[in-house]
Amino acid sequence: MIPTVVLPIIIGGLYAAGVYLLLDRSLTRVLLGFLLLGNATNVLILSAGGVAGLAPILPVDDLGDINDPLPQALVLTAIVITFGISAFVLAMIYRSWRLVRDEVVEDDAEDLRVATREEVDADERDPEDMPPADRGPGDGFTVEREPLLGEVKPPSDDVDLELARAEAAENESAEARAAGDPDRTPAGGRPVDREEEH
Amino acid sequence: MGLLLLAHLVAAVLAPVLVRWWGRSAYYVLALVPAAGFGWLLAQLSTVLAGGTVDERTTWIPALDLDVTLRLDVLALAVAALVTGVGALVFVYCARYFEPGDEGLGRFAGVLMAFAGSMLGLVVADDMLLLYVFWELTTVFSFLLIGGSGAKVAGRRAAQQALVVTTAGGLAMLVGLVMVGQASGSYLLSEVVANPGSGPQVTVGIMLVLAGAVTKSAMVPFHFWLPAAMEAPTPTSAYLHAAAMVKAGIYLVARLAPGFADTPGWRPVLIGLGLATMLLGGYRALRQYDLKLLLAFGTVSQLGFLMVLLGTGSREAAAAGVAMLLAHGLFKSTLFLCVGIVDHACGTRDLREISGLGRRLPVLAVTAGLAGASMAGLPPLLGFVGKEAAFTAFLDGGLESRTWALLTLLGLVLGSVLTVAYTARFLWGAFGSGGTVRRCAAGEPRPAHLHRPTPAFLAAPVLLAALCLLAGPFSFALEPLVAPYADTLPLVAEEAEELKIWHGLQPALLLSLVTVLGGLALFTGRDAVARLQRRIAVDASADEGYWHTMRGLDRVAQTSTRSTQRGSLPTYLGVILTVLVALPGSVLVFRAPWPDDVRPWDTPVQAVVGLVILGAAALAVRIRQRLSAVLVVGVTGYGVGVLFALQGAPDLALTQFLVETLTLVTFVLVLRKLPKDISERHRAKERAARGVIALAVGALMAGVGVVALGARTATPVSVDFPEQAYSFGGGENIVNVTLVDIRAWDTLLEISLLVVVATGVASLVFIRQRTGAVARATGEDTRSARGRRAPRDRWLAATATLSPQRRSVILEVVTRVLFHTIVVLSVYLLFSGHNVPGGGFAGGLVAGLALVLRYLAGGRYELGEAAPVDPGKLLGSGLLLAGATGIAGLVLGVDALQTTILQQTLPVLGDVKLVTSLFFDIGVYLIVVGLVLDVLRSLGAQIDADEEHGDDDADPAEGQALATTGGGDR
Amino acid sequence: MEDLIRVLTPLPVLLPLLGAAGALLVGRHPHTQRLLSILVLSGVLAVSVVLLVLADDQGATSVSVGGWPVPLGIVLVVDRLSALMLVVANTVTLGVLVFAVGQGMADGEETDTPLSIFHPTYLILVAGVSNAFLAGDLFNLYVGFEVLLAASYVLLTLGGTAGRIRAGITYVVVSLMSSLVFLAAIALVYAATGTVNLAQLAVRLGELPAGTQLLLQSMLLVAFGIKAAVFPLSAWLPDSYPTAPAPVTAVFAGLLTKVGVYAIIRTNTLLFPDGALDDVLMWAALATMVIGILGAVAQTDIKRMLSFTLVSHIGYMVFGIALGTAAGLAGAVFYVVHHIAIQTTLFLATGLVERRGGTTNTEKLGGLAKASPLLAILFFVPAMNLAGIPPLSGFIGKLGLIEAGVALGGAGPYVLVGGAVVTSLLTLVAVARVWGRAFWRPRAVDTADEDLEAVRPAAGTSTTTAQLQENRLPPLMVAATAGFVVVTLALTVFGGVLYGVADRAAVDLLDRTPYLESVFGLRGIR
Repeated sequence: MIPTVVLPIIIGGLYAAGVYLLLDRSLTRVLLGFLLLGNATNVLILSAGGVAGLAPILPVDDLGDINDPLPQALVLTAIVITFGISAFVLAMIYRSWRLVRDEVVEDDAEDLRVATREEVDADERDPEDMPPADRGPGDGFTVEREPLLGEVKPPSDDVDLELARAEAAENESAEARAAGDPDRTPAGGRPVDREEEH
Repeated sequence: MGLLLLAHLVAAVLAPVLVRWWGRSAYYVLALVPAAGFGWLLAQLSTVLAGGTVDERTTWIPALDLDVTLRLDVLALAVAALVTGVGALVFVYCARYFEPGDEGLGRFAGVLMAFAGSMLGLVVADDMLLLYVFWELTTVFSFLLIGGSGAKVAGRRAAQQALVVTTAGGLAMLVGLVMVGQASGSYLLSEVVANPGSGPQVTVGIMLVLAGAVTKSAMVPFHFWLPAAMEAPTPTSAYLHAAAMVKAGIYLVARLAPGFADTPGWRPVLIGLGLATMLLGGYRALRQYDLKLLLAFGTVSQLGFLMVLLGTGSREAAAAGVAMLLAHGLFKSTLFLCVGIVDHACGTRDLREISGLGRRLPVLAVTAGLAGASMAGLPPLLGFVGKEAAFTAFLDGGLESRTWALLTLLGLVLGSVLTVAYTARFLWGAFGSGGTVRRCAAGEPRPAHLHRPTPAFLAAPVLLAALCLLAGPFSFALEPLVAPYADTLPLVAEEAEELKIWHGLQPALLLSLVTVLGGLALFTGRDAVARLQRRIAVDASADEGYWHTMRGLDRVAQTSTRSTQRGSLPTYLGVILTVLVALPGSVLVFRAPWPDDVRPWDTPVQAVVGLVILGAAALAVRIRQRLSAVLVVGVTGYGVGVLFALQGAPDLALTQFLVETLTLVTFVLVLRKLPKDISERHRAKERAARGVIALAVGALMAGVGVVALGARTATPVSVDFPEQAYSFGGGENIVNVTLVDIRAWDTLLEISLLVVVATGVASLVFIRQRTGAVARATGEDTRSARGRRAPRDRWLAATATLSPQRRSVILEVVTRVLFHTIVVLSVYLLFSGHNVPGGGFAGGLVAGLALVLRYLAGGRYELGEAAPVDPGKLLGSGLLLAGATGIAGLVLGVDALQTTILQQTLPVLGDVKLVTSLFFDIGVYLIVVGLVLDVLRSLGAQIDADEEHGDDDADPAEGQALATTGGGDR
Repeated sequence: MEDLIRVLTPLPVLLPLLGAAGALLVGRHPHTQRLLSILVLSGVLAVSVVLLVLADDQGATSVSVGGWPVPLGIVLVVDRLSALMLVVANTVTLGVLVFAVGQGMADGEETDTPLSIFHPTYLILVAGVSNAFLAGDLFNLYVGFEVLLAASYVLLTLGGTAGRIRAGITYVVVSLMSSLVFLAAIALVYAATGTVNLAQLAVRLGELPAGTQLLLQSMLLVAFGIKAAVFPLSAWLPDSYPTAPAPVTAVFAGLLTKVGVYAIIRTNTLLFPDGALDDVLMWAALATMVIGILGAVAQTDIKRMLSFTLVSHIGYMVFGIALGTAAGLAGAVFYVVHHIAIQTTLFLATGLVERRGGTTNTEKLGGLAKASPLLAILFFVPAMNLAGIPPLSGFIGKLGLIEAGVALGGAGPYVLVGGAVVTSLLTLVAVARVWGRAFWRPRAVDTADEDLEAVRPAAGTSTTTAQLQENRLPPLMVAATAGFVVVTLALTVFGGVLYGVADRAAVDLLDRTPYLESVFGLRGIR
């Protein structure tokens, strides 16, 4: 079937104009764009019927002369649908106007919030920044770093009375501190498991 | 077996209830379930030792080769016995470990039971995919067990770590299993191992499977989740992290070794990682203060040991491995249970705070001592037997290459030295006089701190320790349990050694001696060791590594989301249109065949109309003045209508004109409230981009239209429409017949769409309940108190309600004269539509325009006078009518929406021909009227009302809501 | 039998329409409306089940509406795929309706969703969905789409709050875009072939030059890609769905995108069987999976997170389609069924969460596991299912796709398998975080954690645990959600049966003869 030149040009022009309007932030223009696109599509469908012809209304002398009725039916359906939808969009425009005195498509606030979100959720904090009670043992690698040279104080699990007294004192104070909060943390850096408290 | 698993499931579901009834003692009852499993296994012992297997098969998803295929052979039985046995004892232990008041007892019981079930399933599964199912189940349940009540950050983090790390491995493993399964043509472990295929797919597949095993069994560098998991209450650690779950990886390796040990990469990976893990774990264990953590790192170390033994894939190593597997299960769970008791007794697990427990809790001390001895590999305990066997294996065999065998042996010995050292540290710390003289020391002024464990509490660990003790001397009894599996592997040494306590004086014994001495030396010199460890400590940790990975993930996620999820509608549309231009566009340019010739037009008039349309369209793009923009768009609409007419489509033309007019009216109704001009919000750059996209799309659509039409060779299906329409459809207007009959199904849906839209418009304007009919001019409304009947002395009923300046006498007169005429016309269009242009749509629209006229002339009350009905009812009955004609067909035994032509001669009217599709068209008519009425009363009448009551009620809350929260919480 | 099918086939569309008409007529009586809608949808579900049994028993059958000879009139085709979709879709719509009724009764008539509008609109939505599955005619498919979209516009903007209008605008305009492309594609198809009957198109398109075929296919693909939310056509979805009322979001998330997926499956197998665009689809699938799930990981709002997983998992289905093998299609079909059920369930559960906790923002929520263990289960099980944890149905679908991919082999499929696995892991991360924060972690206001104080925006204070205890959950809503959880578990237990159907459906799709015969074998009654 041989296509015409005129119709594609009209179609193309309407599409171009419609798309340009559709990409606007003003809802009115978006809707106008939609109407143009609707018309363009309808012409496209009709052009799919091929050559122009007589109205498909009987009786006709030669059935070969009538314009293809099927695309006409499709277009009719499409026209009505377009009308209905645009009426609804108009109602949305009005509603938006009632609410915010504007008919502009705002950017999505939650998207912007997520995109610019800086803070880290409490559960995802760097273990380094957490109190020992909260950070768990990990693989126990992180120890207080000491200089490779120079004096190293004896490890705290060394049985040495002097140290023992120090420990005791330290723990007493720990006790005192711990008296307040239920989740008390022994010197081992391990919290007493809640299920295991008395 | 299936029943056993089911029993676990049921018990898991019931557990919370039982606990609510009987409190913590319910655990005793629950313990019966795994105990039953254990009993059943013992019952199968004879069969299995005789070399037989117990098989069960239930089809589940045959299409995917995923069936419930269970198989109990020697290896499965050995591990299953460990799992169920320890499981039962752990439940017994729980019954006293928890305090009656503890919260979450029911939850814990249920999850632990479910875990026990899946662990058993994992061991007896023969279908690899089924094995994966249980594998992941254990992961999920351990997630819940570690997280516990979720009250503590550490718990949540540990749980998530364990979940993510093991699942990551698990997924790799899943892919691996599928690859292996498809390469070897079966998903049954037994068959796959029997004839594992080969080739790259198998090699890669196996490596992926090992990734799963390695993460699950906490090999370096994925070991960190295990110590972190010590957040879980001690019974969990004793069960999951000693006896059961962490063994899963080892078990899988043992399963696959007979088939795949010679796959390239298998030995290097497993032995290498195993040794590294063994050494690292032991090394870390040496500097722990928390007894539980110490054991955790000990477990890591031992898992490495096991991985080496079972990954080696030689008979002697495997035998040692299985023995060691059992030994470890026994002593490590014992030790964990002991720690739990210590914790209960002292309220702490920090070995610096505990002292002298040995004297005060001798039973506990002995129990732990035995288990410890087994861990350190001292005779006559099972641990010793296992370690001996291991050393012997690598001394004279183990691996083909001696050098590698000896290097491995060296690693194992070093590891064992560390093991002895941390065992000593553990026992000394917990029961020796180690800790500072504080809490639980003898003569301590606050004995209240010491909770003496009840015998019931001690029972479980004591029993286990006893087993460690017995199993050593009677280890030869284990031989039949170990040998059959081991024999499936090639023997590298000269002859296979039997498991027994005393092999006579031999090098292995010497090595054991070395390890013990070395370990003790390390322990006595612990200060030096500790200093050294501090010196060479690196300030990095796998935990940190995990954290950085997750943060990295978050950053990537945020970046990608930021760039793809702009939240801007124009951007989204732009992207969509770009895709449209890119995909079909490129096809159009490069692939599509263009037609040979084109003709300018059907008639030159098209060109003229086209110019008008395009001109109007161009104006529409430029004009920023609202109403004029609407008008020029309207011009394009009318122009298109003319095109339709030229094409030979009078129905379309008619409808298009009517719709266009109605659209214009509707627009004006709404836009009258909005500011006159549309302010420009787009930067020049944006406008340019829009222009480019617009032109591209325009060109595309023009092009595709030409190409598509040019490709047509077939005759359209509609050639048969004309005579069909007349003979069957009983109408001369083919388009109308098509609408109400041939394609009535489309029309039915289309009018239902109109119904939706009408209600939607109403719902947006009347936010509350959909109100009924439009208000009519009633007394209180009309200024001059007058009855609701229209007065005779005016042209229109309700104009009295209009302010004088809004009244226009001419319009009133015209309306008064025309209204009924138009309505009659609309009805005519409806009924004649079947044969001449018109039909339900056209008719309805015309009637709608009549209402518009009344409204414009007389205001909202006039609308009420013109159509005193509830549009909802109108729409409803219209849809009902149309739908009913659809159903009628079915009821009458023909197809839905099938038309019948009733034709007969009536006395007066003469020859009457009634086509049932008319009723359908009436339905259409009603709905269109209803739609127009709804639009008028919403966008017209209601907006007036808003205005009169001052429509400045845009409540700030919502306004601000729009500004701040686009979505999310409403 | 012939008669039974002739009568039953149109009912899934006709019944809801009549129901809608009735609902409008009794608009003043909410109780009657509720009863009517529930009855109608139950009827539709029953019909669909019968159709599925028949279809699975005797293959594809079709009906010519109005009794017009094929291919003049419109035909409705019931094959295994469409029948399966009908059953799943109507199960979901019925369940969600019950949930909505429960919510409506809980809120009394003072709800922000005018019931007299909700019911008819919802019923017409169902009609549109059913028609989309039954349509044997391209233009009729379009009309079906338009009906369900129009209904969805109304439902999405129910109550017309600012947030919903804003979301509605994005949704409506993008949908209009897709509809226009679809309509244009239909015009082109008719221009090139002179018919819109799918079966006839299957024959006539084959006779066109390859280039023209590719052109038409790509146009349709873009149109359906938008509806199905395939990347890069997917960005609209997470902005539009979350703001709607819980039941609406649930049914949208469950169904609407899948209608697009269904259309892609249908066109790619029936109309364009030579898979010219499979490579494009593969890359689209990969991008959809990965970028979608990254989006989910970045979210802090449960509904948003779910919307992104929705997009991401559409990628799984496209993956299956792109493989073009029976195994792949079977996986895709199964996954569609699973995903419809699971997304609906999760959104309903989230609706309960919102009711209980006053928000769906994980930064403000907390302590739900303690506050309401039942709710915790109702969320945890489907969440794990979504993450593809075995043995749940999500795993079955994933496994099917992985097996199909590995079986096909080659670089592309393996990359996709990798992508699918990564997606699965990240899904788990996302839901595990939600679980940890909303259900495990004690509620922020109770803990004196200054960091949490910092992250909580000043606006919108969250309720305290004390208040948490107060707002109890309406039993009917809980029951509906629980029902859905049971359904998803059933998909697991009877996964074998379902997968069998999916498998046979896939085979039918690839060898197109059952479909074609069912249509051409059909002679008009007149």
